[in-house]
Amino acid sequence: MTEEALTPQTSGQDNPVLWVVRPMATAARQFLKSLVRPSTIIYPFERLEDPKFREEVAVAAGKPIGVGAVWDNYRGVHALNIATCISCNLCSFSCPDLCIEMVTVPGGNPKHPKKCPQIDYGKCSYCGFCSDACPEGCLSMTTRYELSVTKRSEMVYSPEKLFEVFERKLPMNPIRLERPANEDAILLDAPLCIGCNACARDCPTQCITMVDIPKPETPPGAKAPRRIWKEPVVNDSDCVRCGTCISVCPKECLFWGTRA
Amino acid sequence: MSASLYSVAHSLVAIVLTAIGSVLPSPLRQGITNAGLITALGVIVFAAILLIASMLNTIVLIWFERKLLGRFMDRRGAMHVGFAGLLQNFADGLKLMRKNTFRPDEADGLGFYLGPTAYMVTSLILFGILPVSTGWNSGVLPLSLLLALVVFSFAPLFIFISAWSSNNKYSLMGGMRSAAQMIAYEVPLLLSVVAVVVVSGSFDLNTIVAQQQNYWYWGPLFLALLVFVAAMLAEMERIPFDLPEAEAELVEGWNTEYGGMLFAFFMLSDYVRALVGSFLVVLLFLGGWTMPSWVPSAATSFPLAGIVWFMVKVYVVFAVFVWIRASLPRVRTDQLLRVGWNRMIPLALLSVVLAAGVVMVKCLPIFGCLPNLGI
Ligand code: SF4
Ligand code: SF4
Ligand code: SF4
Repeated sequence: MTEEALTPQTSGQDNPVLWVVRPMATAARQFLKSLVRPSTIIYPFERLEDPKFREEVAVAAGKPIGVGAVWDNYRGVHALNIATCISCNLCSFSCPDLCIEMVTVPGGNPKHPKKCPQIDYGKCSYCGFCSDACPEGCLSMTTRYELSVTKRSEMVYSPEKLFEVFERKLPMNPIRLERPANEDAILLDAPLCIGCNACARDCPTQCITMVDIPKPETPPGAKAPRRIWKEPVVNDSDCVRCGTCISVCPKECLFWGTRA
Repeated sequence: MSASLYSVAHSLVAIVLTAIGSVLPSPLRQGITNAGLITALGVIVFAAILLIASMLNTIVLIWFERKLLGRFMDRRGAMHVGFAGLLQNFADGLKLMRKNTFRPDEADGLGFYLGPTAYMVTSLILFGILPVSTGWNSGVLPLSLLLALVVFSFAPLFIFISAWSSNNKYSLMGGMRSAAQMIAYEVPLLLSVVAVVVVSGSFDLNTIVAQQQNYWYWGPLFLALLVFVAAMLAEMERIPFDLPEAEAELVEGWNTEYGGMLFAFFMLSDYVRALVGSFLVVLLFLGGWTMPSWVPSAATSFPLAGIVWFMVKVYVVFAVFVWIRASLPRVRTDQLLRVGWNRMIPLALLSVVLAAGVVMVKCLPIFGCLPNLGI
């Protein structure tokens, strides 16, 4: 209905004939319009994202066809590309509803099992934080919105199930945040480090290398610190800022910061 | 249609009974092909055909209203059960049939069950009174119009009985409104019918239709048609005059306490009455089953043409009722009474005077002359 039809008409308010004739004329106009095609779509059989509605939706949104349509940034069920997931945990960290659990999938080694997100759609609020956080762009939201199930347990989508969604090649909206390489870097409080290699071992992108450092001269009688004379060096361009190293460090000597 | 519905039913029974009788020994055959038995069964079959046909029509009418209202509201209406949702109402009916009918503890048993039953029965009787074509009618009833209007106006009584005995304040208010509403519409309704009766000179619906052979009454008696349609809307308790139901303020009005099949009775009878209201408009003002002489005879002479044209007109009239329902808001009781007494009664009286004028001059400029049927 046009704007004009919705604005109240003030003329002829005291003419009772118009009280009847005007609404009937409006109804008749509406009837003739929807006789051709009512606004309702026959949902399970047609969907708004069907190609035949693309034009209509674009016109309704006031945008060029194919741009800014509902599904261009739609937040539906996630698609997960298991192959490129690096098990960084970022998705699970960023989820405000705590609905992501990292579960083991085949493909890792016994020391480093490969873990991928399993999402409980009973809790998910479709905020999209996880797909924003995913450094590899392998977890992203699709246009799929039909999730009705008969059991609550079916609301939990295992990584395999999310991969099935991925394989359907639905439209996705991976958002990649670009940031300067030195921002949010992993910094080291060097005197505390004991060179244990835990960070380098657990880094999902293997961007930490342990480099040798010189063993300092100890004055006679003083006790030399018991440690391995190595120190982690982080390759900032490969680091995905997952914070795994910070959480595994036994000495709590790694922290976030901007590298000079 | 040359053979009347009753003679069809009668010969159907005769054929079936003769066929059964031919395989039976002779004393039994004598008993079963007895003329009295055939007549009695013929009447029952006739009534059954009437009942089934009118129920089917009512259900199609509900579908028709749902589809039309849908388009008026930019939706599609029932879609998925049967072709274009045609079977949706049967599904709804089945659901209502399976439901438990529940009577409130404090309700009066007799009135609670009598109300809907009598409402349904009096509504269905009307199909036996109103003729649909020269064949599909119940013979000559000299006062059929009067009888139809009397039976039609029973409804508020039964509404009031069921509202009173439900022992619920909303039901009671709905019943009271129904009674108050009756005061507003009954007088103008009958006065506008008087205009038709004055012009046609008969209370027999068959004669009234036959009298419209030169022109239909809606033209000369347009005023009466307007009053009749408005009063009919109130009589059928359809929007904008559905005060007794007023689901926005009275839950469900007088049938608040009814569920299951009893609710279905009310629902169905409402539409039976809507159908009968459309029948009456067509019979009194739109020439019944006749068509104007300029319509090619091929379109009016095929078998059952009378019934087909009658039903086409009925559905067009009902579509107008739906159109009104889709457009207008519900009025208040005082507004209805004011419209009824201050506007509709003077207009109806005026239309009676006009009708008398039509009878006086006999021939009108555009429409032509009244036929002289020697009544
Ligand atoms: S979209 Fe769902 S799973 Fe992802 S972060 Fe938000 S709530 Fe968690
Ligand atoms: S954020 Fe992306 S790469 Fe990291 S574990 Fe989650 S899905 Fe895998
Ligand atoms: S985990 Fe901590 S203590 Fe161990 S090597 Fe890395 S920074 Fe040093």
